[in-house]
Amino acid sequence: MPKVKAKRQSVSLDMTAMCDVAFLLLTFFMLTAKFRPEEAVTITPPTSISEKPLATEKGVITISVSNEGKIFMGVDDKEAQQLMLERMSNRLGIPVSAEMQKNFMASEIVGYPAGALKQVLSEKPSKWKAAGFYTGIPCDSANNELFLWVTYAKMANPALSVAIKGDGNSNYKVFNQVVGTLQEQNINVFQLITGPENKPRN
Amino acid sequence: MAEIDQSGGGKKGGKKRSKKASTKIDMTPMVDLGFLLITFFMLTTTLAKPVTMQLSMPDKTDTKETSPVKLSETLTVCPAENKIYYYQGIPGSPDAVLQVTDYSDKGIRQTLFDFKKRIGNNFTIVIKATKEAKYKNMVDLLDECAITDNKRYALLEIDAATEEMIKKSGK
Repeated sequence: MPKVKAKRQSVSLDMTAMCDVAFLLLTFFMLTAKFRPEEAVTITPPTSISEKPLATEKGVITISVSNEGKIFMGVDDKEAQQLMLERMSNRLGIPVSAEMQKNFMASEIVGYPAGALKQVLSEKPSKWKAAGFYTGIPCDSANNELFLWVTYAKMANPALSVAIKGDGNSNYKVFNQVVGTLQEQNINVFQLITGPENKPRN
Repeated sequence: MAEIDQSGGGKKGGKKRSKKASTKIDMTPMVDLGFLLITFFMLTTTLAKPVTMQLSMPDKTDTKETSPVKLSETLTVCPAENKIYYYQGIPGSPDAVLQVTDYSDKGIRQTLFDFKKRIGNNFTIVIKATKEAKYKNMVDLLDECAITDNKRYALLEIDAATEEMIKKSGK
């Protein structure tokens, strides 16, 4: 009887399909990933057990408070943003050129005193951070520009909701100031942006 | 398999035959690379879905009659940087005893639970943040209110009498 030979199986297998899957997944993740929205400064919000997502359908005014207490404001409604600039420049009597407007619209963030508007907007938004233009919006009783910006944004789109994104280590006083400013305009409901945290078990 | 043929050049002479190159290439490194990249992106992506906490403040222009709250049913809480002061009653009066606790679940959470159990549904928390309080402390405190299921709370400015009381206690 002839010996039964164990058939040698080939160890190399066809990797094409696996390769296809891998790259398909890779492409999918890369295309669906959203870029993190630009930030004037890095803000680490405190955590809370709340699970409500930020309602963004009708547009949001995001007021950020940095670690050092600087105040920034962002509006995700482009129309409102344009009207904001128009009204602000009218008030200050600063003529706004087409280029300045383009620069203003290119960035969602307002984070400088209105007096510096001309100087800031003559540069491209990508250079603002390096040039140190993000000095914060003044928000004290003598010169409350945050009040003006919010008023103008609300005039353009009354449906805008207000979200406050404060750094965990910022002083409570600044937050109080912001809330006070908004209450003067009869905005009484705020969404505080926080990071997620696990609910305690009990 | 794509391997470099190093055995060539052994035979001299003979017919030259064009060697048929295999169309199969080894995909293993490519797959490795693909999955490495996937893993990398998945691990480095932070799922930055912001959550929000709703805060409603009373309408300043609203002059409508508001429902009065009994003093005995309120607790005044003053968050400071690493501790929380709390007392019942009118600040400065002898029956208002200032106590201190912390942000842990054995601290303020237990306190709020105890008061709620004792006082019942009308339990109201008055939050007066001290000057050195951080925003984080305030959010933590609001969070504790949510955890202990207290919907009646108010944010107020700190008054001089409370500040004086905190200072005097030296805690």
